[in-house]
Amino acid sequence: MDPILELDGATKTYRTGAGKVVALDAVDFGVDPGESVAVVGPSGSGKSTMLNLLGLLDAPTSGVTRLEGRDVTDLTDRERTTARKESVGFVFQDFFLIPTLSARENVEVPTMFDRAGPGDRAVDLLERVGLGDRLDHYPDELSGGQKQRVAIARALINDPDVVLADEPTGNLDRETGRQVLEELDRVRETGVSVVLVTHDPLVTEYAGRSVRLVDGRVARETGGVEA
Amino acid sequence: MASVGVDRWDWRPGDRFGPADDSNEPGTGGNRTVSVRRTLYRRFPAVVLARRNLSRNRLRSALSVLGIAIGVLAIATLGMFGNVLQLAAAQSLGGLGNQVIVNPNQDAGVESLSDRDLREIDRAAGEDATVVPVKTGGALVERGSEGTFAQLYGTATPGALFEARSGELPERHRQGVIVGPDVAESLDLRVGSTVEIEGNEYRVVAVLADTDSITPVRPDNAVILPPDEFRSDEFDQAIVQADSGREAAAAADRIRGRLNARQDRVSVFELSSVVSRIDEFFDLLSGFLVGIGAVSLLVAGVSILNIMFVTTVERREEIGVMRAVGIQRVQVLKLVLAEAAVLGAVGSLLGAVASVAILLGLYEFTVLELSVVLHPSNAVYPLVAVAFGLGTSLLSGIYPAYRAATDRPVDALRG
Repeated sequence: MDPILELDGATKTYRTGAGKVVALDAVDFGVDPGESVAVVGPSGSGKSTMLNLLGLLDAPTSGVTRLEGRDVTDLTDRERTTARKESVGFVFQDFFLIPTLSARENVEVPTMFDRAGPGDRAVDLLERVGLGDRLDHYPDELSGGQKQRVAIARALINDPDVVLADEPTGNLDRETGRQVLEELDRVRETGVSVVLVTHDPLVTEYAGRSVRLVDGRVARETGGVEA
Repeated sequence: MASVGVDRWDWRPGDRFGPADDSNEPGTGGNRTVSVRRTLYRRFPAVVLARRNLSRNRLRSALSVLGIAIGVLAIATLGMFGNVLQLAAAQSLGGLGNQVIVNPNQDAGVESLSDRDLREIDRAAGEDATVVPVKTGGALVERGSEGTFAQLYGTATPGALFEARSGELPERHRQGVIVGPDVAESLDLRVGSTVEIEGNEYRVVAVLADTDSITPVRPDNAVILPPDEFRSDEFDQAIVQADSGREAAAAADRIRGRLNARQDRVSVFELSSVVSRIDEFFDLLSGFLVGIGAVSLLVAGVSILNIMFVTTVERREEIGVMRAVGIQRVQVLKLVLAEAAVLGAVGSLLGAVASVAILLGLYEFTVLELSVVLHPSNAVYPLVAVAFGLGTSLLSGIYPAYRAATDRPVDALRG
């Protein structure tokens, strides 16, 4: 099976005052459909850079990013934004809900400017994450776990191929974190790939496979079977 | 890979994350409001989001609205002030600029205007202008035991120069007298009263209206007689009434050319050039006042620029996440500009309404007339000021909006 999202020899260097910093060094990485992968590693290991490349938020300095087999390395900002909207869902550590929008409106943010509205899909998604009775609540009326579930619903509004979760449990207590991970696992069961970037060992329990990054290189892979 | 449909979700909703409590349940009465809000939001997401964002910090938004309102108020009010001054001045100057006064040049020994002079003046003035020959003098006007000294005018066609308050001005003035309002008041005269001038008795046929404009021939303290009642046969003044200041100036030039070719027989007095100078001055004054207003609007624009910068920096992560989940740059631009536009629209409208209120206050507390205050030309200023207010706000929003839209989501989300 072809990976849904793939980095091929991806290198990312940053220019700083002191000189060049290699954040990611010739990384090969692929996510298969319906697979969940945890990317772990100490801070500064290049996890976030890798997530940015996978999420089409950034382009590698050298190497290739592929989405559904298509080379998306050199897309324009507009094309990349459209590709993100159509194929990638994001879940962040800080939830990043918009405080002036209700839960339902937050879920619909990606479709905010679409001519055809999302219909009742946001309601369906919120019901499925157990927030059917919180549609018109604003983020400050929701608990951390509820906010993260709104964020998961937002990530799914455009029916993505892959959900990228950046420390999804980072701001949650252990029990709530576990519930959110179970939620993401249910997402995976529907055929959506899930990439979890984390340093929380709990997260790796829910991932089929773990990739350990050290100093911008893939140090070790555990679990799962290479396709 | 096949797209993942909702129908493939197979867990039971809420089996684990059921509602914790019902205290946050929205009341049933709010359903209609919610659906109206929702329709609005779907239709105009940028404007609705802008309004909600602006209400996050009400004081700050109110202050920037106030800034724009003051700027628009300044432009509209000062512009209307200038216009009202100009209108009021034009009304006071009245027909001054349209009249040419021709007097015999006494320095050259010419004591009066001959019939021939009058024919020449008539020809020189052209067909559109009316020439009114006038005899002048002064006399004691008496009624019973009371008397007042009045200016005497002798003209056959008083209708060309004056307006009556009561009675009618005769087409050809052959008998009776027309009295100015001051004379009528001091002698308590009305139409039908009788006055005595130099031993002759005359019936009052009309009383003139008060003149609120400046004219070379002031009839307030005058009595107008038929010209035949004067001892002299010759006229000692001719008033040329033209349709406009420019025609008056041209007529004056032609009269000078015709009558003063060989000898300066007449002195010609016209104020059209003075009136046009006065007009120019008021144009300048209006421009100057609007300029002062524009400076205050500029200051308001800078304050909006500042506010928009602050809010976009504060919401950097929010904008970053929007970009990450698929909102295009141009759409972010729209969101930020919508905020500037809402500030500008509310401020401009408030400013315009306030300026109209001030104009009406001006009517209430000054001697200005309603016709001047409600003159349609005044409406231009609030409209132009609103356009400037909106334009300034949008212009001030462009740079912060551009900065927000082009911020890389990676950088924005890193904080």
